[in-house]
Amino acid sequence: MTDNRSRNGHRNGVAPGWHSPHNHYLLFADRVYKTYPDGAVRALNGVSLGVHAGEYVAITGPSGCGKSTLLNMLGVLDRPDAGEIYFRGEALTTRCDLDHFRARQIGFVFQSFFLIPTLTARENVQVPMFEGPRRTARQRAQKADELLALVGMSQRAHHRPMKLSVGERQRVAIARALANDPVLLLADEPTGNLDSENADKVLDLFTKLQKDRHLALIVVTHSDEVAERADRVIKMRDGRVVADSGAEIIPTPDPAATS
Amino acid sequence: MYFVSFILKNLARRPIRTVLTVLGLAVAVGSMIALLAVSYNVERSVEAAFDSRRVDLVVMQKGKPMGWDSEFSEYFVRETAKMPEVERVSEGIVGNANIERDGVLVDLGILLVQGWKPDNFGYEDLEILEGRRLQAGDRRKVMIGRTLANNLKELAKIGPIGHRVGDTLTFVGDPKNPYEIVGIFKSPVIFEDGGAIVPFEDGQALHSKRGKVTGFSVRVRKSAPDSHAEVETVKRKIEALRDPDDPYVVVVADTPDKYVQSVSQLELIRAVSWLVSAIALAVSVISLLNTMTMSVLERTQEIGILRAVGWPRGRVVRMILGEAACLAAAAALVGTVIAFIGMQTLTQMPKVNGFIEPDLSPWVVARGFALTVLVGVVGGAYPAYRAARLLPTEAIRHD
Ligand SMILES: Nc1ncnc2c1ncn2[C@@H]1O[C@H](COP(=O)(O)OP(=O)(O)OP(=O)(O)O)[C@@H](O)[C@H]1O
Ligand SMILES: [Mg+2]
Repeated sequence: MTDNRSRNGHRNGVAPGWHSPHNHYLLFADRVYKTYPDGAVRALNGVSLGVHAGEYVAITGPSGCGKSTLLNMLGVLDRPDAGEIYFRGEALTTRCDLDHFRARQIGFVFQSFFLIPTLTARENVQVPMFEGPRRTARQRAQKADELLALVGMSQRAHHRPMKLSVGERQRVAIARALANDPVLLLADEPTGNLDSENADKVLDLFTKLQKDRHLALIVVTHSDEVAERADRVIKMRDGRVVADSGAEIIPTPDPAATS
Repeated sequence: MYFVSFILKNLARRPIRTVLTVLGLAVAVGSMIALLAVSYNVERSVEAAFDSRRVDLVVMQKGKPMGWDSEFSEYFVRETAKMPEVERVSEGIVGNANIERDGVLVDLGILLVQGWKPDNFGYEDLEILEGRRLQAGDRRKVMIGRTLANNLKELAKIGPIGHRVGDTLTFVGDPKNPYEIVGIFKSPVIFEDGGAIVPFEDGQALHSKRGKVTGFSVRVRKSAPDSHAEVETVKRKIEALRDPDDPYVVVVADTPDKYVQSVSQLELIRAVSWLVSAIALAVSVISLLNTMTMSVLERTQEIGILRAVGWPRGRVVRMILGEAACLAAAAALVGTVIAFIGMQTLTQMPKVNGFIEPDLSPWVVARGFALTVLVGVVGGAYPAYRAARLLPTEAIRHD
């Protein structure tokens, strides 16, 4: 952490000095605002949030409060209207190779899996590997096999998504998210389409990944069981963070003060 | 898994659509390749014949690009032969003639009947398959090309008509003078195979051109094998000649390659084949655009996911262009086969028979492939652009 700070301390987009809290975090959202072009409401209304490496965070809140929007911002799938996302102290919104960054550092898991129907489980896991670290076709297949073993799907490696149960599909999707050994996993309602038995399997897997791989997890969920598993629960409402069980609470600043 | 495997799997997703698209493109590409081949083959065979007959200049009447409507007095031939730089000249009379059977015209399409003197350059690379060649003193004799021989043989099955050595043929307009078939030949010039050759004087009579020639070829005495200076001199001298009896007739002397370029029949074939090719290419591009745009729209969500897992726009573009290129490449392959079969079938038809060689030169196929790949890139460009523009957040929103 100290190392990171000294290396990045003078770089553009990083406010230098002891008072900059984002240097301590793996990922830090600094007063993020977002309004959709056709949306009347502000989907995000100045959210600040820091996540440590290896931390397991759950984000909850009523429907439409901006959870998915926030997750997209954290995973740099979308750029905020105002505010900044820092990764290990480095400002991301000014970077132009966000795809490259996403391929190597972030894994995504979605409620409806989004596996590619024409590819087998093993091939689906390899899709992100075309980006990320250089691997031969054989190494890609090998890595896919390892990941499928990790999520307990070795037996079904050669099946296409249609032939798999929903629980199995989500585990393949998790293996895909891990393809390039990211440090951060973002999951949007990962158990939303699963029965409780399959949901438990997925949650056990998350816990295992956090413990064994020191993976940071940010999971958006409606479910209390999911939230209970996390180290920290963040509650949102109307595009703001209203409660954070974590030790460091970063208050949402007064919008008037920011401008 | 390889990136290409992924591309192929995407195409295999809708096999019927893929096959139909490839077939549609292949028909267009095939007709393009066939036409390019036809015009290429005709030009090459004419050029090759002039080449093997060591012709330096071809003399025709100026302003008669159709070739066989060229007509001028034998005076030009005589004067040219006298020039010190000229080694030899070889004149000919060319025209379309028809054969009749019991006073009824036999439809053989275009039947090229040439009148040759016994020392015509053409004899040098004519292969006699049966019988003999025409000799000095022959009158009312005819040599027929092998394709014409075959066509006549087919007709002989319906009713009696001369088709073997020793048989006779009657030309329309001269029923009292049947021509005896003395030989069957094979010429390096494909359309000569579909025609016949008669003695020069008979040719003049048959085409009503007494004292005239259609054109003549000139061999120039050269200081070095590829020296152009003498050829230029002779060309200028020939073009300056004026017939005292008909001073308005002007001739042009062209080198064989220039002559082939200027022959309007060949020009027409070339123009038509490029026009049809352009239409075929336009149809192909539109068809590919349709298929690929549909395919991209269907996969909005998938493409969004690819972006989410870290694929940059460039890789999405490469994926779509790759799919389009694969379709085009498959179409080029199938199209080449279609072109080949099409040309074989076409050559079997008596009307075209003798004008088309069922031969696909690698150069023509390569050109067809290059144009088809171009179709792939152009037809894939817009869908690829659409795919690259898809926002990952939009694609995955409808969760
Ligand atoms: N692409 C978009 N265009 C317009 N408005 C949008 C878009 N995406 C989200 N919104 C709006 O922004 C607000 C926040 O949406 P978001 O999807 O982040 O909520 P959420 O907390 O994830 O809800 P849910 O629990 O239902 O998934 C909502 O009012 C939503 O309608
Ligand atoms: Mg949501």
